[in-house]
Amino acid sequence: MVTEGGQLYTIEGVAAALIMLTTAYLVVGATAVYTPGDAHISDMQMEILGTDALKMMDTPQNFTDTKSPLRQIVETDDGSKFWLLFNNTLNNKTGAYPDHIHFTANYSYRVPSDNSINSSFLNASRNLTGGEHAVRVTKWVIVTKKLPPSAATAQDRAVLVEVLLWRD
Amino acid sequence: MARLNNDGQWIVLMGFLVSFSFFFLALVINQSTLVGQSTAESVIEFPKNDIRDISQVIKEHADNNGKISDPIHDDIVNVSLKRKGAVINYTLDLAGTGLGHDPLVDKNNYSMIHYNNGVTEYNENWTST
Repeated sequence: MVTEGGQLYTIEGVAAALIMLTTAYLVVGATAVYTPGDAHISDMQMEILGTDALKMMDTPQNFTDTKSPLRQIVETDDGSKFWLLFNNTLNNKTGAYPDHIHFTANYSYRVPSDNSINSSFLNASRNLTGGEHAVRVTKWVIVTKKLPPSAATAQDRAVLVEVLLWRD
Repeated sequence: MARLNNDGQWIVLMGFLVSFSFFFLALVINQSTLVGQSTAESVIEFPKNDIRDISQVIKEHADNNGKISDPIHDDIVNVSLKRKGAVINYTLDLAGTGLGHDPLVDKNNYSMIHYNNGVTEYNENWTST
Protein backbone atom coordinates (compact mmCIF):
# COMPACT_ATOMS: atom_id res chain seq x y z
CA MET A 1 0.00 0.00 0.00
CA VAL A 2 2.72 2.45 0.89
CA THR A 3 4.33 3.55 -2.34
CA GLU A 4 6.36 6.66 -3.02
CA GLY A 5 4.17 7.76 -5.87
CA GLY A 6 2.25 10.71 -4.37
CA GLN A 7 4.91 12.69 -2.58
CA LEU A 8 5.57 15.35 -5.19
CA TYR A 9 1.84 15.78 -5.75
CA THR A 10 1.50 16.42 -2.02
CA ILE A 11 4.34 18.92 -1.96
CA GLU A 12 2.87 20.77 -4.91
CA GLY A 13 -0.51 20.80 -3.26
CA VAL A 14 0.87 22.16 0.01
CA ALA A 15 2.84 24.86 -1.81
CA ALA A 16 -0.17 25.92 -3.83
CA ALA A 17 -2.37 26.01 -0.74
CA LEU A 18 0.18 28.15 1.10
CA ILE A 19 0.39 30.61 -1.77
CA MET A 20 -3.40 30.90 -1.97
CA LEU A 21 -3.75 31.30 1.80
CA THR A 22 -1.07 34.00 1.92
CA THR A 23 -2.67 35.85 -0.97
CA ALA A 24 -6.08 35.76 0.70
CA TYR A 25 -4.54 36.95 3.98
CA LEU A 26 -2.83 39.88 2.26
CA VAL A 27 -5.90 40.88 0.30
CA VAL A 28 -8.17 40.82 3.34
CA GLY A 29 -5.65 42.52 5.58
CA ALA A 30 -4.53 45.21 3.17
CA THR A 31 -5.21 48.79 4.27
CA ALA A 32 -7.46 50.57 1.84
CA VAL A 33 -5.66 53.72 0.70
CA TYR A 34 -8.17 55.80 -1.19
CA THR A 35 -5.80 58.63 -1.94
CA PRO A 36 -2.50 58.05 -3.67
CA GLY A 37 0.52 58.47 -1.46
CA ASP A 38 1.63 61.79 -2.87
CA ALA A 39 -1.75 63.56 -2.78
CA HIS A 40 -0.82 65.30 0.46
CA ILE A 41 2.39 66.68 -0.95
CA SER A 42 0.50 69.23 -3.04
CA ASP A 43 -1.41 70.27 0.10
CA MET A 44 1.89 70.76 1.82
CA GLN A 45 3.23 72.89 -1.02
CA MET A 46 0.11 75.04 -1.12
CA GLU A 47 0.30 75.56 2.64
CA ILE A 48 3.87 76.77 2.31
CA LEU A 49 2.94 79.01 -0.63
CA GLY A 50 0.06 80.62 1.29
CA THR A 51 2.08 81.07 4.47
CA ASP A 52 4.90 82.70 2.54
CA ALA A 53 2.49 85.01 0.73
CA LEU A 54 0.93 86.14 4.02
CA LYS A 55 4.35 86.59 5.60
CA MET A 56 5.46 88.71 2.68
CA MET A 57 2.35 90.86 2.96
CA ASP A 58 3.04 91.35 6.65
CA THR A 59 6.44 92.91 5.95
CA PRO A 60 6.62 96.71 5.75
CA GLN A 61 7.70 97.92 2.35
CA ASN A 62 10.55 100.14 3.56
CA PHE A 63 12.13 101.59 6.68
CA THR A 64 9.90 104.64 6.89
CA ASP A 65 6.73 102.61 6.37
CA THR A 66 6.05 101.19 9.81
CA LYS A 67 2.84 99.42 8.88
CA SER A 68 2.88 96.32 6.71
CA PRO A 69 0.39 96.08 3.81
CA LEU A 70 -1.48 93.31 5.62
CA ARG A 71 -1.80 95.48 8.73
CA GLN A 72 -3.13 98.37 6.68
CA ILE A 73 -5.60 96.04 4.97
CA VAL A 74 -6.98 94.77 8.28
CA GLU A 75 -7.06 98.24 9.85
CA THR A 76 -9.02 99.72 6.94
CA ASP A 77 -10.96 96.55 6.00
CA ASP A 78 -9.57 96.97 2.50
CA GLY A 79 -10.74 93.75 0.88
CA SER A 80 -9.95 94.82 -2.67
CA LYS A 81 -6.34 95.59 -1.81
CA PHE A 82 -6.06 92.18 -0.19
CA TRP A 83 -7.43 90.57 -3.33
CA LEU A 84 -4.92 92.42 -5.51
CA LEU A 85 -1.84 91.74 -3.38
CA PHE A 86 -2.63 88.18 -2.40
CA ASN A 87 -3.83 87.11 -5.83
CA ASN A 88 -0.78 88.60 -7.54
CA THR A 89 1.55 86.94 -5.06
CA LEU A 90 -0.09 83.54 -5.40
CA ASN A 91 -0.97 83.30 -9.05
CA ASN A 92 1.53 85.33 -11.04
CA LYS A 93 3.93 83.18 -13.00
CA THR A 94 6.67 83.84 -15.49
CA GLY A 95 4.65 82.18 -18.25
CA ALA A 96 1.84 83.67 -20.25
CA TYR A 97 -0.98 82.32 -18.07
CA PRO A 98 -1.42 82.85 -14.34
CA ASP A 99 -1.85 80.00 -11.88
CA HIS A 100 -5.37 79.17 -10.76
CA ILE A 101 -5.32 79.10 -6.97
CA HIS A 102 -8.47 80.42 -5.32
CA PHE A 103 -8.87 81.77 -1.83
CA THR A 104 -11.32 83.08 0.69
CA ALA A 105 -10.02 85.19 3.55
CA ASN A 106 -11.25 86.58 6.84
CA TYR A 107 -9.77 87.73 10.12
CA SER A 108 -10.78 86.76 13.64
CA TYR A 109 -10.60 88.88 16.74
CA ARG A 110 -11.63 88.68 20.37
CA VAL A 111 -14.57 90.67 21.72
CA PRO A 112 -13.23 92.02 25.02
CA SER A 113 -16.57 92.06 26.87
CA ASP A 114 -17.10 88.28 26.87
CA ASN A 115 -13.92 86.89 25.22
CA SER A 116 -15.95 85.49 22.34
CA ILE A 117 -14.47 85.37 18.83
CA ASN A 118 -15.81 87.34 15.89
CA SER A 119 -14.77 86.83 12.30
CA SER A 120 -14.82 89.56 9.70
CA PHE A 121 -14.78 88.79 5.98
CA LEU A 122 -11.97 90.25 3.90
CA ASN A 123 -12.35 89.01 0.35
CA ALA A 124 -12.64 85.87 -1.77
CA SER A 125 -11.72 85.04 -5.33
CA ARG A 126 -14.59 82.57 -5.49
CA ASN A 127 -17.40 81.48 -3.19
CA LEU A 128 -16.97 78.29 -1.20
CA THR A 129 -19.29 75.50 -2.32
CA GLY A 130 -18.12 72.91 0.20
CA GLY A 131 -16.64 70.61 -2.42
CA GLU A 132 -13.20 72.17 -2.42
CA HIS A 133 -10.19 70.44 -1.00
CA ALA A 134 -8.95 73.51 0.80
CA VAL A 135 -5.84 74.20 2.84
CA ARG A 136 -5.97 76.70 5.70
CA VAL A 137 -3.18 79.14 6.38
CA THR A 138 -3.12 81.77 9.12
CA LYS A 139 -1.09 84.78 10.13
CA TRP A 140 -1.08 86.82 13.32
CA VAL A 141 -1.12 90.56 12.75
CA ILE A 142 -0.88 93.35 15.31
CA VAL A 143 -3.26 96.16 14.41
CA THR A 144 -4.35 99.41 15.98
CA LYS A 145 -8.07 99.32 15.54
CA LYS A 146 -11.46 99.52 17.21
CA LEU A 147 -12.35 95.85 17.69
CA PRO A 148 -15.24 95.21 17.63
CA PRO A 149 -16.15 98.28 15.55
CA SER A 150 -18.40 99.47 18.37
CA ALA A 151 -15.42 99.77 20.74
CA ALA A 152 -14.77 103.20 22.21
CA THR A 153 -11.08 103.60 21.43
CA ALA A 154 -8.63 102.08 18.99
CA GLN A 155 -5.85 100.14 20.67
CA ASP A 156 -3.16 97.62 19.78
CA ARG A 157 -4.76 94.25 19.19
CA ALA A 158 -3.70 90.89 17.80
CA VAL A 159 -5.94 89.51 15.05
CA LEU A 160 -5.66 86.23 13.20
CA VAL A 161 -5.90 86.44 9.41
CA GLU A 162 -7.23 83.13 8.10
CA VAL A 163 -7.15 82.13 4.44
CA LEU A 164 -8.53 79.01 2.77
CA LEU A 165 -6.67 78.06 -0.41
CA TRP A 166 -7.58 75.60 -3.11
CA ARG A 167 -6.86 74.88 -6.73
CA ASP A 168 -9.62 74.85 -9.27
CA MET B 1 7.91 15.21 -12.07
CA ALA B 2 5.18 13.68 -10.06
CA ARG B 3 5.75 10.41 -11.83
CA LEU B 4 9.22 10.46 -10.29
CA ASN B 5 11.41 11.04 -13.23
CA ASN B 6 14.12 13.60 -12.79
CA ASP B 7 13.43 15.77 -15.80
CA GLY B 8 12.64 19.46 -15.54
CA GLN B 9 13.41 20.02 -11.88
CA TRP B 10 15.59 23.05 -12.54
CA ILE B 11 12.80 24.62 -14.55
CA VAL B 12 10.36 24.15 -11.70
CA LEU B 13 12.87 25.49 -9.17
CA MET B 14 13.56 28.61 -11.23
CA GLY B 15 9.83 29.09 -11.66
CA PHE B 16 9.41 29.06 -7.90
CA LEU B 17 12.27 31.54 -7.44
CA VAL B 18 10.87 33.96 -9.98
CA SER B 19 7.36 33.80 -8.58
CA PHE B 20 8.54 34.35 -5.02
CA SER B 21 10.65 37.33 -6.03
CA PHE B 22 7.61 38.86 -7.73
CA PHE B 23 5.64 38.22 -4.59
CA PHE B 24 8.10 40.08 -2.36
CA LEU B 25 8.38 42.93 -4.86
CA ALA B 26 4.61 43.29 -4.70
CA LEU B 27 4.80 43.42 -0.89
CA VAL B 28 7.34 46.24 -1.02
CA ILE B 29 5.33 48.24 -3.55
CA ASN B 30 2.21 47.75 -1.45
CA GLN B 31 3.93 49.35 1.54
CA SER B 32 5.37 52.26 -0.40
CA THR B 33 2.03 54.05 -0.85
CA LEU B 34 1.54 54.06 2.91
CA VAL B 35 5.00 55.46 3.48
CA GLY B 36 4.43 58.40 1.12
CA GLN B 37 1.09 59.21 2.71
CA SER B 38 2.20 59.07 6.31
CA THR B 39 5.29 61.16 5.59
CA ALA B 40 3.31 63.96 3.95
CA GLU B 41 0.67 63.77 6.68
CA SER B 42 3.16 64.10 9.48
CA VAL B 43 4.76 67.07 7.76
CA ILE B 44 1.35 68.74 7.50
CA GLU B 45 0.49 67.84 11.07
CA PHE B 46 3.56 69.49 12.56
CA PRO B 47 2.56 73.13 13.27
CA LYS B 48 5.84 74.71 12.23
CA ASN B 49 4.24 77.85 10.82
CA ASP B 50 1.93 78.31 13.80
CA ILE B 51 4.79 78.12 16.26
CA ARG B 52 6.96 80.51 14.26
CA ASP B 53 4.06 82.90 13.84
CA ILE B 54 3.20 82.98 17.55
CA SER B 55 6.81 83.45 18.52
CA GLN B 56 7.28 86.21 15.96
CA VAL B 57 4.15 88.16 16.88
CA ILE B 58 4.98 88.10 20.59
CA LYS B 59 8.58 89.17 20.07
CA GLU B 60 7.56 91.86 17.61
CA HIS B 61 5.20 93.42 20.10
CA ALA B 62 7.11 92.86 23.35
CA ASP B 63 9.05 95.75 24.80
CA ASN B 64 12.67 95.53 25.96
CA ASN B 65 11.66 93.82 29.18
CA GLY B 66 9.58 91.26 27.32
CA LYS B 67 6.25 92.76 28.36
CA ILE B 68 3.24 92.62 26.03
CA SER B 69 0.00 94.50 26.61
CA ASP B 70 -2.89 92.71 28.29
CA PRO B 71 -5.35 93.00 25.35
CA ILE B 72 -2.83 91.42 22.99
CA HIS B 73 -2.05 88.65 25.45
CA ASP B 74 -5.75 87.88 25.83
CA ASP B 75 -6.26 88.08 22.04
CA ILE B 76 -3.53 85.53 21.39
CA VAL B 77 -4.69 83.14 24.12
CA ASN B 78 -8.39 83.23 23.23
CA VAL B 79 -8.21 83.33 19.44
CA SER B 80 -5.62 80.54 19.37
CA LEU B 81 -7.77 78.34 21.53
CA LYS B 82 -10.96 78.89 19.58
CA ARG B 83 -9.73 79.21 16.00
CA LYS B 84 -6.59 77.05 16.02
CA GLY B 85 -7.31 74.59 18.83
CA ALA B 86 -4.00 75.39 20.46
CA VAL B 87 -3.27 76.31 24.05
CA ILE B 88 -0.85 79.19 24.21
CA ASN B 89 0.55 80.87 27.25
CA TYR B 90 3.05 83.65 27.57
CA THR B 91 4.46 84.23 31.00
CA LEU B 92 6.93 86.86 32.02
CA ASP B 93 8.90 86.80 35.22
CA LEU B 94 9.94 90.44 35.57
CA ALA B 95 12.98 91.37 37.60
CA GLY B 96 11.93 93.32 40.66
CA THR B 97 8.54 91.68 40.98
CA GLY B 98 9.99 89.04 43.30
CA LEU B 99 8.34 86.10 41.59
CA GLY B 100 10.50 83.02 41.61
CA HIS B 101 13.82 84.75 42.00
CA ASP B 102 15.45 87.32 44.21
CA PRO B 103 15.16 90.73 42.51
CA LEU B 104 18.17 92.06 44.40
CA VAL B 105 20.49 89.39 43.04
CA ASP B 106 18.90 88.42 39.73
CA LYS B 107 18.24 91.35 37.42
CA ASN B 108 16.96 89.23 34.54
CA ASN B 109 13.48 89.07 33.06
CA TYR B 110 12.44 85.56 32.10
CA SER B 111 10.02 85.14 29.19
CA MET B 112 8.39 81.86 28.30
CA ILE B 113 6.09 80.89 25.41
CA HIS B 114 4.17 77.70 25.85
CA TYR B 115 2.40 76.08 22.90
CA ASN B 116 0.39 72.85 22.85
CA ASN B 117 -2.10 71.78 20.20
CA GLY B 118 -2.62 68.27 21.54
CA VAL B 119 -0.12 66.71 19.16
CA THR B 120 2.88 68.97 19.44
CA GLU B 121 4.10 70.76 22.52
CA TYR B 122 6.61 73.57 22.30
CA ASN B 123 8.25 75.73 24.93
CA GLU B 124 10.50 78.68 24.29
CA ASN B 125 12.45 80.63 26.88
CA TRP B 126 14.55 83.70 26.71
CA THR B 127 16.10 86.06 29.16
CA SER B 128 16.41 89.83 28.99
CA THR B 129 18.01 92.29 31.33
